[in-house]
Amino acid sequence: MESLRGVKMIYELKVEEDAPMTVNNFLKELLTEGEVDAVIAMTETPSGKSAFPTMISHPEKLSTNVFAPLLPVSTGTVVSKVTKVKPPKKTLAVVLRSCELRALTELVKLNQADLENIILIGVDCSGTLSMDTYQGQDQDITEAVLKNESEDDLRTACLNCKDPVPKNADLVIGTFGADTDKNLFLDAKTEKGAEIVSALGMDESEGEEVREKAVQDIRDEKEENRKAFIQERSEIEGPDKLLEFFDTCVNCHNCMKVCPVCYCNECIFESSIFDLEGDKYMKKVEGKGAYKTPTDSLLFQLTRFNHMMLSCVGCGLCEQACPSDIPLMDVITGLADNAQELFEYEPGDDPEEELPLVVYREEEFEDVEER
Amino acid sequence: MKDDFEPTVVAFLCNWCSYAGADLAGTSRLKYPENVRSIRVMCSGRVDPVFILEALNEGIDGVLVAGCHPGDCHYQSGNYKTNRKMILLKKLLTDFNVDSDRVRFEYISASEGQKFADVVTDFVGTLKELGPSPLK
Ligand code: FES
Repeated sequence: MESLRGVKMIYELKVEEDAPMTVNNFLKELLTEGEVDAVIAMTETPSGKSAFPTMISHPEKLSTNVFAPLLPVSTGTVVSKVTKVKPPKKTLAVVLRSCELRALTELVKLNQADLENIILIGVDCSGTLSMDTYQGQDQDITEAVLKNESEDDLRTACLNCKDPVPKNADLVIGTFGADTDKNLFLDAKTEKGAEIVSALGMDESEGEEVREKAVQDIRDEKEENRKAFIQERSEIEGPDKLLEFFDTCVNCHNCMKVCPVCYCNECIFESSIFDLEGDKYMKKVEGKGAYKTPTDSLLFQLTRFNHMMLSCVGCGLCEQACPSDIPLMDVITGLADNAQELFEYEPGDDPEEELPLVVYREEEFEDVEER
Repeated sequence: MKDDFEPTVVAFLCNWCSYAGADLAGTSRLKYPENVRSIRVMCSGRVDPVFILEALNEGIDGVLVAGCHPGDCHYQSGNYKTNRKMILLKKLLTDFNVDSDRVRFEYISASEGQKFADVVTDFVGTLKELGPSPLK
């Protein structure tokens, strides 16, 4: 992806009816003008109870709401599915929140997604709600979250988001710094993005400085939240309590299935490798005296962390998927930050930077050993 | 009490160096504690952290991984990558209140029978001090 970092091209989307409709119309234009052949964007389900990333090629079928405050699945995972075997020959635009983009960047590094012919449209994220909260709303929850009126309802992961502003997108739909009743920003971040905007003939925005400040403010706020959260949780769930933290795990592996960066194509814990003959179990229990079954739930959690910690983008889907309501983000937020700091690695940040466990540099050998 | 505790150690030894080093320790009749159960692997890079976690989960007190010296790995970079994997794993264990000294990564060449004996002796000493694994 050619990066135009440093080059600023910020345009304006005039809000027609409301913010979601404005973006919907923009996506429609992309389709009707032939800029793209299909889009993937959040669309509310007919029941109104949920919303999912939906693939659309017919302009008249577009009824997206890219601001729907829900994360049922990571769009990063969806893009992986669509492009992993072979990326499409036609152009596909995908709208993603910041954590979904981070996940996608990691998936590309893991060779599990290919961005050829994909146009990435990031969207500022004001946070998402739990499934229950979302379903229980009758008022216009999208607007409430966009206007920051529902902060208390946000998921833990969102309150402590690593960065709500999309990175590594071709275009960013900006709400931070905008009066979302009047206008949205459209920020062209790459050549591809700039070409699209110029093809559609958009107006440049005057609000660049306002936006920059708003972006900085929200980043600062989230970082502060996150630090305070990690501090607070580590006092409550200190290392000595951590082994007990997973007591209630039912070993369903949901957290692994929804995690966008849990990278094994086939999870070792879904294989029969840990299935033993009865006698082996009898021998095991002799050694330990007593065994909680299934025997491998803690082992599963530890192995999973070991695999995904460095690439954890903080989306919190694991926590959302846990039937035992284990507040996973209480623990993962700190674990992941620790591990990432150790290797000075920021997942989703720089597509060119290799994953820490696949690189080796002879000269850093001793240095790393010291840590 | 602690003196009576005999830790169980699993050692993953690289075929090309440390396994031969251990062999040499044996044929040279060097003394080292018998707490070690050796498992030969083709390269230290073959040691998936899940092996170590499973060993600990099964009540093993300490895991030793030994590979070729930097620059000597038969597969070029297995030991370098293992080094990084071990650093990450140790961090995770520390976060879970499992002393990271229970996992040890060492470079032991085929000619270093003495080093193998020393490492094992030292490791078993450390584990005796740490006491039984909290995962037991
Ligand atoms: S061959 Fe010995 S560590 Fe790779």
